[in-house]
Amino acid sequence: MTPRRLRIVLAEDAAIMRDGLTQTLARRGHDVVAAVADPGSLSQAVAAHQPDVAIIDVRMPPTYTDEGLRAAQSVRQDHPHVGVLVFSQYIETRSAAELFAGAVKGGGEVGGIGYLLKDRVADVGDFIDAIAAVAGGGTVLDPEVVRHLLRAGRRADALAALSPRETEVLSLVAQGRSNAAIASAFTISPRVVEKHVASIFAKLGLAASDNDNRRVLAAIRYLES
Amino acid sequence: MTPSLTAPVRVLLAAVTVVLTSTVIARRRYPVAAFGVAAAIGAAQVAFGVQNPAPAPVFALQPTDADLAILVLLYTLAAYRPRPVSIAGLMLCLAGAAVAIARWAPAHGAYAGNAVLGAAGALGGLTLAAWVLGDSVAYRYRRARYAVVEARAAQLEAERDAQAQLAAAAERARELQEQRARAVDQSVARLRRIERDLHDGAQVRMAALAMMLGEIKENLQQAHGDGHVLELASAAHRNAKETLADLRDLARGIHPPVLDRGLAAALGALADTAALPVDVDVRTCERPSAAIEAIAYFCAAELLANMTKHSGASQGSISISDGGGRMLMAVTDDGGGGAWPAPGGGLAGLRERVQTVDGRLSIDSPAGGPTSIVIELPGHA
Repeated sequence: MTPRRLRIVLAEDAAIMRDGLTQTLARRGHDVVAAVADPGSLSQAVAAHQPDVAIIDVRMPPTYTDEGLRAAQSVRQDHPHVGVLVFSQYIETRSAAELFAGAVKGGGEVGGIGYLLKDRVADVGDFIDAIAAVAGGGTVLDPEVVRHLLRAGRRADALAALSPRETEVLSLVAQGRSNAAIASAFTISPRVVEKHVASIFAKLGLAASDNDNRRVLAAIRYLES
Repeated sequence: MTPSLTAPVRVLLAAVTVVLTSTVIARRRYPVAAFGVAAAIGAAQVAFGVQNPAPAPVFALQPTDADLAILVLLYTLAAYRPRPVSIAGLMLCLAGAAVAIARWAPAHGAYAGNAVLGAAGALGGLTLAAWVLGDSVAYRYRRARYAVVEARAAQLEAERDAQAQLAAAAERARELQEQRARAVDQSVARLRRIERDLHDGAQVRMAALAMMLGEIKENLQQAHGDGHVLELASAAHRNAKETLADLRDLARGIHPPVLDRGLAAALGALADTAALPVDVDVRTCERPSAAIEAIAYFCAAELLANMTKHSGASQGSISISDGGGRMLMAVTDDGGGGAWPAPGGGLAGLRERVQTVDGRLSIDSPAGGPTSIVIELPGHA
């Protein structure tokens, strides 16, 4: 991984987690330019610092329900180029769908988006990779959400057209994996993965434009199904 | 009557006799008026009475048959009218008799002594007897009526007592209901607080701990240090992550945070994680209390789990509608049916849980399916 120094705004109301993450990220060579505890301070910090990525806890004051989700949506609206990584003690498919649905309005240059279970901070390396992916405009979806979706076993019509292998590939795309990572996961060649991805895009009716954006759209289709 | 009487006198006597007698006819309906008329005729007899010029016997003092009417009317008065009225009637009769005797007795001076005494005794005795007879009838009647009134009063009192008891019982029931509602609401609030404490306390600390252990592990890996220490750190890291997952399940079992966003969102989240497609349709005008939402949510979760495990269904549905101030939740599936509340089983447990807030659970699950379980809950505990 090329060590790009990321500028990060962190919104987390629990001090122990806020401080711990700030230190961990600093040790990994990233800048936490602001660490805040509520949605109001978050939007100020994002406006002031224009970070590469904002990491946002779902549960924040005042009601501790989904303030973080609302805050994430307003950050994306006001600062489309800022990547947003939402993390939560609980995974809810609906919250993920809401977040991702709000993600691609307007098009153009959009920041990445991610939704992770808070537990993922335990695997520091993976967590930082996810932050980097979001900062780079990628999509990161918690494997737990994908697992729920696969277990639910229901797909919208568009997704029903996908072959089983294409569905598997799409679930990894939704998790933010690169083509190379997907290739190694299935021990197939990157060229085959590209073929699958192209076929998925075609079947989902995604126009051939910016590749990253299409991957986000495909992930959203997957989530909303 | 003697032949010596003149024709007009005879006619007058006959007329008086007819009128006197006929007053008896109206005695039941108009006892006072009838008595008044009869007494007036009697008074007229005394005032203008025909005095027989014959020397003896005391013909004019003998009551005619018609004068018995006055006594009959006195009896009626005593029997059916209040005592003061009947006593006035008695006095009038006695006075009338006395005046009659006084008026006619001097004309028969020769026989005055015994005859006057006899007439006074007979008239007074008859009058008194009529009154006493009537009065005793009235007394019996009054006693019977009093007994009826007394019984009615006792009955009314008993009814009032019963009503008071009912009102007290209703009041008590209302109190108990309020207490139960408070207890249920408080317990839900307490559970929510516990979940929040877990979230803000143990879960956050454990996540921070897991993060640090992860870093330690990675540092050890990069430093190629002591293999044993790395092993320990890895195990600790794994344990911390598992504990984190356990804590999450525990907190979710205590109070699912998604419930804070309303029943529709919570049921939607449930359906999202179900192993089969579940359609959710929530139509309620008024949001029920948190306790009711929690009960509905846990029931739906249990029923969905049952559906997945036992029904063999390919799809299910959860619908919530308004049933006249109560919330109706129907959970259905197209599986094999045959669900029944086995003692100690999940359905029986759900039924008990629903009953704690005065709710009902009904099962329609014929062999071969489909299954429909309807839970009816009040808007508030």
